[in-house]
Parts: sequence; C-alpha cells; structure tokens
Amino acid sequence: MMSKMTQRKSLDYVKKDYVRTRTMPANWHLTSYKYKFNITHMQPFLDKLKEKKLVANRCSSCNRVFYPPRLVCGKCLVKPDKWVDIRDTASVSTYAIAYLKDPETGDVVERPMVLVHHDGSDTSNIAELHPDIDVKDTYVGMPIKAHWSEERSGGLMDIEYYDKLEDDSEDIETK
Amino acid sequence: MGRQVAIVSAGFSEHASKRSDVNMGELVHEAIDDCLKKVPSVGFEDIDAYVNGNMPAFEGSNIPELWITDWMGARNKPLLRVTTGGTTGGSVAIAGYYTVTAGLPGVDTVLAIAFEQQSQGDTSVGLASVAYGEISILNTLGISYDQITRLLSAGAAIGVAAYQATTYMNKTRITEEDLARVVVQNRRNAAKTWWAHLKMPNLTIEDVLDTPYVQYPLRYGMVCPASDGACAMLFTTEEKAKDMCDIPVYVNGVASVANETAVLGYDGSGSAQVDPSMQLGAIRSSELAYSQAGISFPRKEIDYAEVYAPFPNQELMWTEKLGLFEEATAPQMYESGVTAVNGELPVNCSGGVNSTNAIGASAMERPAEAALQIMGKASNQVPKTVHTSIGSGWGGSLNLITLMAMSDQPQRKWR
Repeated sequence: MMSKMTQRKSLDYVKKDYVRTRTMPANWHLTSYKYKFNITHMQPFLDKLKEKKLVANRCSSCNRVFYPPRLVCGKCLVKPDKWVDIRDTASVSTYAIAYLKDPETGDVVERPMVLVHHDGSDTSNIAELHPDIDVKDTYVGMPIKAHWSEERSGGLMDIEYYDKLEDDSEDIETK
Repeated sequence: MGRQVAIVSAGFSEHASKRSDVNMGELVHEAIDDCLKKVPSVGFEDIDAYVNGNMPAFEGSNIPELWITDWMGARNKPLLRVTTGGTTGGSVAIAGYYTVTAGLPGVDTVLAIAFEQQSQGDTSVGLASVAYGEISILNTLGISYDQITRLLSAGAAIGVAAYQATTYMNKTRITEEDLARVVVQNRRNAAKTWWAHLKMPNLTIEDVLDTPYVQYPLRYGMVCPASDGACAMLFTTEEKAKDMCDIPVYVNGVASVANETAVLGYDGSGSAQVDPSMQLGAIRSSELAYSQAGISFPRKEIDYAEVYAPFPNQELMWTEKLGLFEEATAPQMYESGVTAVNGELPVNCSGGVNSTNAIGASAMERPAEAALQIMGKASNQVPKTVHTSIGSGWGGSLNLITLMAMSDQPQRKWR
C-alpha cells in the first residue's frame, strides 16, 4: 500500500548565502598534557624486555593470555596474575596501508600498519614491519619475528621492527 | 512489563556537506517539520517529552540542546540528552523507546531528535580528542608520542574499517570490484532519496576504482562523506498510535552491545579479537533484539534492512553478522541483485551511511528509514510489502552496535 506522501516532492530547499559577514582573527593554543599511568602491573614485563624476553599475563579464569599485560580481564573481571613466557615469533593478524605525504618533498610514501599476533598470546598488538619489506608482499598470516634494538630501555620500543620469516605453510587452494 | 511502543512518523532535513544557510536550531526544526507533516493530527502540544543527542566534540559547539530548545518546541517539557559517539542516533532512538515503554504518568508521546552540523567545526580534531586518551595509554609501554602518530596516522573510523576490510577480503577472497559494487548500489539509491547527500545516478564500478587510495584497501570513492543534517522520530503508545496514523510501526526489539576496543584494546594491551571482522558484538546484539521481537529465522522473516555502513566492506560484514545472509555469502548477494530495491531482501535503499553521514544523526536515520518503508512513506519505496525491518548503528572505537527490530504487528509473546 503506497501512500500519496511517497510522491511528495522535496522540501523547498533554497541555499542562501550570507552577504555580510565579519571575520575575526583568533588563535587557540592547546596546552601540553601530563598523564599519569599505572605501570605496576606490567613491571615484570618491562624488566624482561631488557633481557630480550617476552612475557605475558594470563587470566586464571578464562585462560586468555594478554600481551602486552593487562590490569583486568574484561570478560571475567579477574586480575590476570599468572606470568607466562611467549615466543618472539608472530604472525600478521591484519594490516592496512597508509599513504603519507612527505611535508618537504611532497612524495607519497606507502607505509603498512600492521597488527601482530604473537605465538602463545590471545591478543593482537600494534607494530612496525622491517622497512625493506615490500608493502605489496604483506598478507594476513605472514610469519614474522621480533627484531630487538641494540640499546634497550625497558619499553615496547625495544622491539624495533619485525623481520619476515620464510612461510613454510602449505598453500591451500580456496575456491 | 513495559508498554508496547509504536513509531508513527519519522522525518529528515535536507543533507549537504555545508548547510551554511541554516543554524543548528533551524536544521533540527527542518527535520521536526518533516516528521510532523506526515501526521497532521499531531502538534507540538501533543508531545509530552523529548530525547535528543548529537556528538558535540565533532562540531565544537557544546550543550546545543539548551539553546535550541525553542526550535524543538521543548519549552517546559522534559528533555533528555544521549551521546554515544557514532551510535548517538541509535542510542537516542532506543532512549525514546525506553521513555515510552517505561509508562511514566503523562508521558505517552516522545519526540526523538538526532542531529549534526559538522561544517561548524573540525571533525578530525574532535576524533583526535576522542582517540587521544586511548593512544596516550601506549606511553605506558614506552612508545613515544611521535612514534604513535606515525603508527596511527590513518586513525579514527577508517583505520578500524581498513583493518576489518583486510581480514574480511582475506576470508571471503573478494576483490575491490566487489566493494565498489556495494558503493554503486548505495549511491544510485541515494539519487532517488530526496534528503540524501551524495546523489550519483550514473556511477559505475570503474569510476569508483579510478579514485586513489585513502588507506588500502579503501579508496576515496568508497568512503562516506561528512554531512550536515538532522533526523526526528515520533514514538508513542499502541493505543494513541492507531489514532495518529494508518500504519503504525511497532518497535519489538532493541539492543546495544559493545565489543572490546577495536585496535588498541583495554589498557593499551591489544585487541582481544585477533580477527577484526569477527564482530561478536553484532552477533550478540542481533540475538538479543531478534529474541525480543520473536524473530527465529532472520533470513526468512526480515523483509528490509538498513545497516550502518560508512564503508562498503562493513555493509557486507554487518549483513552477515546480523544474520541476514550466511557467512561469506554477502558479496554474491550484491552481485546477483538480491539486495537491490526490487530484490528479495533490499538493503539500504536510502543510500545508507555510505552516501549520507551526519555522524550524530546517521544511526537514527537507519531505524527511521526502516520504519518509513513499513509505512510505505519512504522516498525510495521498495515495491514489495514490508512487514518486518531492522535498523542498525555502529560506533568506531569500541564497535558499539545498536539495533532496532520493527514490525507492522505488535509482539505480545514476551509481554
């Protein structure tokens, strides 16, 4: 059942431009911020990073392994307090390519932005790939390995980037 | 148990990228005017309470509901404000439903209004302020701020959507052509909708694929616009609705469910969903809303769907996750024309969010348009009779899903 309203024409929308306007110059400088964070729960994790080791914490209720460590398991409302070792190998869980314009030369650079899924953990984390890896060769599930920086300060920046590993998984024909 | 709630009317303002000819109040009034025009027996004196909302961070003018009160006709009446980011409109519609179903004395008819005038401010700055709290938590892990900006240079909703698109395309083995096909359908539908923003009646797949990448795999031609616009919906009780209009639309199920944070995760500790296209929140919200509405076989029972999809990959993803199609079959449905206006299950005949995106309003335009399709008053009306329809909403950083299931028959099973 179709109403007559359906055939109703659009509202009489006529765009009016203001003839007289006044422009006032103004500046708004946002101040700098100081945020405080609780890092007590991840202190063992930060200490181990200096020794080129990766640890994650595990929720004793749902057995999910959080890398980087988490204060509270949102699913169970339990403090994950068990520490487990995880490997430094990982796989690309998803990626996107950003196109950045160099402000000086004007060249557009392609940069992959990847989320990595470390073997042995249940979360994915933001990371960078080796600069020599061609963007077009990136794919979901690509095996990678953490590359440690020379000087480690006890932060996630100690993993400078991820190196590509040889993919030995068999190709599965998907149709 | 709550009262049965009915939608008697819904209205829109004209959408454009810059509505500089009206201010925010006049924009809102345009939508209310269109809403009340469809129900001649209802005037401002019949409306008992108001629910409204927008996303003030995106346009930079705060607490607008206080100074646009008179444009809404809300003087001396109860006024509630709801803001939940991208899903603001969906949450406002659900709040309107709750206000009526609560059965407060003297509150029977509620006008829900959602609006956004993005041209007033800078949406990117607003999004940055939303994201900053989340990004800054990465400092705990020793990542300096310049590094973060490089990592998240795409940021905001498109960053989340591009990750979803990559995994979805990997899972279903579709190409960009399939994404472009969705865009073409939406923009052509928008050309037949009087209030839509991007009207492109002659768009082809090649035109979409000619545009440059914003962020792989999403191209400029596939991305939603930024619009100015408003939407209004009139909720009332079952008894009053029968006097107000010919075909009242009954709200039978509502749900709003959120996932964990999309990219950075709680405490900056990474998303617990390794696959961003898994979307457990959407599956859960459809379970909740359909069980309330008594829909056992969504694929058979739902006649029309409006899904909130600013990006084409999301439209494919949501239609699957909301139970309209089998997993990984949505691209074939778009190719075979099932989702077209004269198809078996029309989707987004108004052009969807992909063609019109006034952030605060767009999540309400979905249930509003789905209700108008049941009434037979929609601008791009589907030829078949629509009995049951759904309208969904999505918010970026937490994957918050709002869902409203509507029908021309009231659901009495659970009452």
